Parts: sequence; C-alpha cells; structure tokens
Amino acid sequence: MSFTHNGVQIEDTFAEGFSMWGSRIIITAASQRWANTAASSMSGFATSVIACDCEAAIEAEVAPEATPDGRPGTAVMVYGFSRGKLAESMLNRLGQCVLTCPSTAVFNGLPEEEADEMLDIGKSLRFFGDSYQVKMRMGDGWQQRRRFWRIPVMEGEFVVEEKVGAKKAVAGGNFLIMGDSQEATLKASEAAIDAIHTLPGVVTPFPGGLCRSGSKVGSTYKFLKASTNTPFCPSIKNTLKGSMIPPGVNSVLEVVINGLEEKQVLKAMGVGVDAATRVKGIKWITAVNFDGKLGKFKMSLKESLGGI
Amino acid sequence: MKQLVLTPKGSSRIPVEAEVISPDMIVGKTLEEVKALPIYRGNKTHSLSEFFNVEGKVAETPEDQHIVVDGDAGHVKYIGKGMTSGRVVVQGDAGMHTGAQMAGGDLTVTGSVGDWLGAEMKGGLIRVLGDAGHLAAAAYRGSSEGMTGGCILVKGSVGSEACSFMRRGMVVFGGDTGPFTGVHMNGGEVFVFGELGKRAGAQAKGNGGFIATFGGVREVLPTYIYETTYTPTFMRLYIRQLSENLGVEKAVRFIDAPMRRYRGDMAVGGSAEILVTEKA
Repeated sequence: MSFTHNGVQIEDTFAEGFSMWGSRIIITAASQRWANTAASSMSGFATSVIACDCEAAIEAEVAPEATPDGRPGTAVMVYGFSRGKLAESMLNRLGQCVLTCPSTAVFNGLPEEEADEMLDIGKSLRFFGDSYQVKMRMGDGWQQRRRFWRIPVMEGEFVVEEKVGAKKAVAGGNFLIMGDSQEATLKASEAAIDAIHTLPGVVTPFPGGLCRSGSKVGSTYKFLKASTNTPFCPSIKNTLKGSMIPPGVNSVLEVVINGLEEKQVLKAMGVGVDAATRVKGIKWITAVNFDGKLGKFKMSLKESLGGI
Repeated sequence: MKQLVLTPKGSSRIPVEAEVISPDMIVGKTLEEVKALPIYRGNKTHSLSEFFNVEGKVAETPEDQHIVVDGDAGHVKYIGKGMTSGRVVVQGDAGMHTGAQMAGGDLTVTGSVGDWLGAEMKGGLIRVLGDAGHLAAAAYRGSSEGMTGGCILVKGSVGSEACSFMRRGMVVFGGDTGPFTGVHMNGGEVFVFGELGKRAGAQAKGNGGFIATFGGVREVLPTYIYETTYTPTFMRLYIRQLSENLGVEKAVRFIDAPMRRYRGDMAVGGSAEILVTEKA
C-alpha cells in the first residue's frame, strides 16, 4: 500500500519509536563558536545506543536574548535508556567536553514544570571544585527558586545549574529517503534535515542528521548483534533474496529522530518527508519498523503528513 | 484586586504601631471591623480609624487585597509586618519595621523608610523609592538568621548594619551603604550601586553569600583577601534579573565589567565574597 506526496510514492507504513529518557541543556559561551564547539564535543560518539552510552545532538543555536546569561548559546539534547544512564552520560560528557571548553556555562533547558524528574547534574559536578565551589542562589522567596554552582577553573569560573530536567521521551522516529542517485538522495536528505532543524524539541543524532548504513537486528555472524540493513542496500538489490529496494532506486539514506514528545517527532517526520519529496530524483519514502516488537510508538508516515 | 485606602489623619511625634496594615490582617472583615482594628501609641490602644480615614473594599483572601496608605506615614511602624501576599503601597514615608518578617506579596513605599526595613524577611518583594534607615534586611538582636528570602530594593542609600546575619534572598541598594553592610552574612546577595560602607562583610561566613558593589568601596577589611580581577559569568544572570525584573536599568552598564574579587572574612574562616567593579 502506498500513496503519493509531491509526486513521490510514500509507503503507507509507520516508524516504530521506543521510549527513552530525554533531557535538554543550554550551553552558553563568549561566542557562538565556543558554544557550538562545546555542544559538538559533548554530542560526539552519541549516534545510537546500539554502541554508544547515549544518543545526543545539537537541537538549535539559541540567541543571546533567550539564554539565561545573555550570551550566545546552543541547545543540546541527550537521550538515555534510563534516568541513571542518562545522568551518568550527561555528567561524563559535561565534565569532559563542556567544563573543559573555554568560557562555557551550562543551564537547564527543560523546566521543572515540563520535566518528569530533575537530575542532580551540577550538584554532582560541583565536587570538581575541590571545596572551592560556590553555591549560587536565585529567586528565593520572590521568584522561581534556582540553584547553580560556580566552579573555579584555570580560565575563570565554570557556572552550571544544579538540576537539569529529564522526561520520558521518544526515540527512533525515522524515514528512509530513496533516490535514483546518490547525489539526489543526499540533496533531498539535506533538505529534510534542514527542515527538521527548524522545529523545537527534536534532534537527529546521526552524523549531520543522516544514517547511511541503517542496521538490522542480528547477523550471519554469531558474535555480531547488529549488521547492515541488507534489504535496503541497492548494491545487492538484484542478488539479495528479499531486497526491499523499489525499481529505479540506487541510493537510500535514513533520517532518525528523537524528541521529547511523540507529536514533535511525528511532526518532524512529516516536515522532513515533505522537504525530501520536493527534490528531483526521489522515488520512494518508507519507514523502518519491527512489526511493533521494538517499541510502543507507531508513527505513521501518512499521519505525519496530515498537517502539511 | 480590591483596594482599601487608609489616609493618615496628620502625624504624631509618638510613633504608632500598626501591624494591622497588612492584607492578612484585614481580609474577610467588614469595613467597620477594619476601622476598629487595634493599633498602639505609647502604652495606649487605639482603633485604626482614630489615626486613618478608612475607605474602600475588603477582599476575602490576602492575594486579592490592595492597601494604599495615602500620605506620609513616617510615624507608623510595622506596616506590612508578616504579610504573606497581596499588595501594600505607601504614598509617602513609612516608619520603622516596615515589611518586617514579611513572607510574600508586594510592598512599595514611594518615600523613605525608618530602621529595620524588611528585618528577618522571608519572602515577597519590597520596593522603597527613597532611602532606608539602619538595619535594613537585618536580624533582630539575638537572632542567628536575618533575611532568609525575598527581595528588597532601595533606590536610595541605607544606614548601618544592613543585611546583618543575612542567610538567603536578594537586596539591592541604589545609593551608598553605611558601615557593617552584610556583617555576619551567611548567604544571600547584596548589590550596591553607590559606595559600599566601611567594614562590609565583617565576620561573614560565606555559604554563597556575596556583596557586589558597582560604585566603589570605602575600604575592604584586611581579613578579606584579594584573589583576582575577572568578569564573572554568574554576575550576568543577576544583572539581567536586576534590569528585567526589578527595573534597575543602570545595572546593564556593568554586564561585562571586570570585578575585583575579595574572599573572606578570614577572621572567621569565611568564604564570602566582596566583588568590586574596576573603575573605568
């Protein structure tokens, strides 16, 4: 079953999302360059929990007017399989990649009223101050109470918010872009990513937001738990029994989306598909699922395009 | 909000103690009951209506009550004492202990106030458009903790021992401060836009407490050690709060100002801070 959108065949299927704990922080710095540097460093090697400790990516740059300290900022989202794993990953990454980065400060990007839990991130990082850390209070008794820690470092002071919000979130939103050439597929995928990055609350943790290999559970090798997504590899489409490459398709790229809310992921899928299908050479769009065995979220491509 | 207007019937050389001028004390009463509320002058008890014309409306809950003291009340003590919510505006001066032990709500004095402004305050916001006397935001004698929350903004100057034994909360002085500002301080934030008086922070322990002065300092106690001159990132958060939430527009000038950091009071092993802007 399929339908068309912008003249491109869309398979009437769904992306199968699963539950993870998500969080958002705002990294600020003396310039956008350093905020982005810290954010990129922190979200490195965090594409998939298949082999990484967490999934993380830059959500967006944040204008100085919208950051707590009025400096340029970058919003980063981090996803983990449990609260504990998420907190551990954030602590390690903030400690190694942001605390060390010149001029940075870290603020909670998920307010308590939107969060399910508040993680003791700054509260744990403070010990790096070796007893010279300073507790910073704001708003006691007249505004929203906030706590920060000031940690002395060689360059000056590192400011980090005591608690960071976390909530049950959605990972694994996805769609596959299938084109008649590598060039057209990449161009359409870039358009999809650019469109997705205009939306709040979602990130695309793979390199540049795109996953070229895909993966399937298991392998012909007993020691390997995941292997290349053979049904969607065009270079073996005519010899592989069960290949799922439609006629005329010679390249496939996957967009994987994590978000704080299912509706945000669904909207991001729709926006991405819409942008991709506007590029010449795109033949098919589909999504990856495991017949409901992996996760509880079924995000249909048709529904995602409903509001567009 | 329902507004009750109290117009002072002249002044008095003997102060009047009127802690009934608080939303918590009048709500749910009839206007006649409000007029009969007790106030004290010397060793005599009087009714509120003997010293004030009372008119307007009384709300059912403190958060809906707005009290206006329409005239000079420099002889009236304890206005807004212990109030938990609602709004009190004094159109003129107010006497000693204004907003003492206040826990919430909003109190504004368009003139100046006497001593003990917001003493042992716990929450809420006090704005004074004139000057304040001694011991603003202080602890009462014998107490181990002074202000534990809320915010006090005094546009003018303040007398001695402001913020003594301060534990939490925020205090802003637009003008100069007298001696011993923040004495025994153990937390809280004090911002001074005039000149910080002598012996500031004496015996302060720290606990995140600091005094930031943007208008210089008369002297820094020798038991405060100069550490460095830097542009603290954390100060940007407070400066935004000062300018955006409290209307202290001149604060923005100092957002990137280098500050000298002193740490003390070493006489008591403290880790409080005095931050002084470098003169341009």
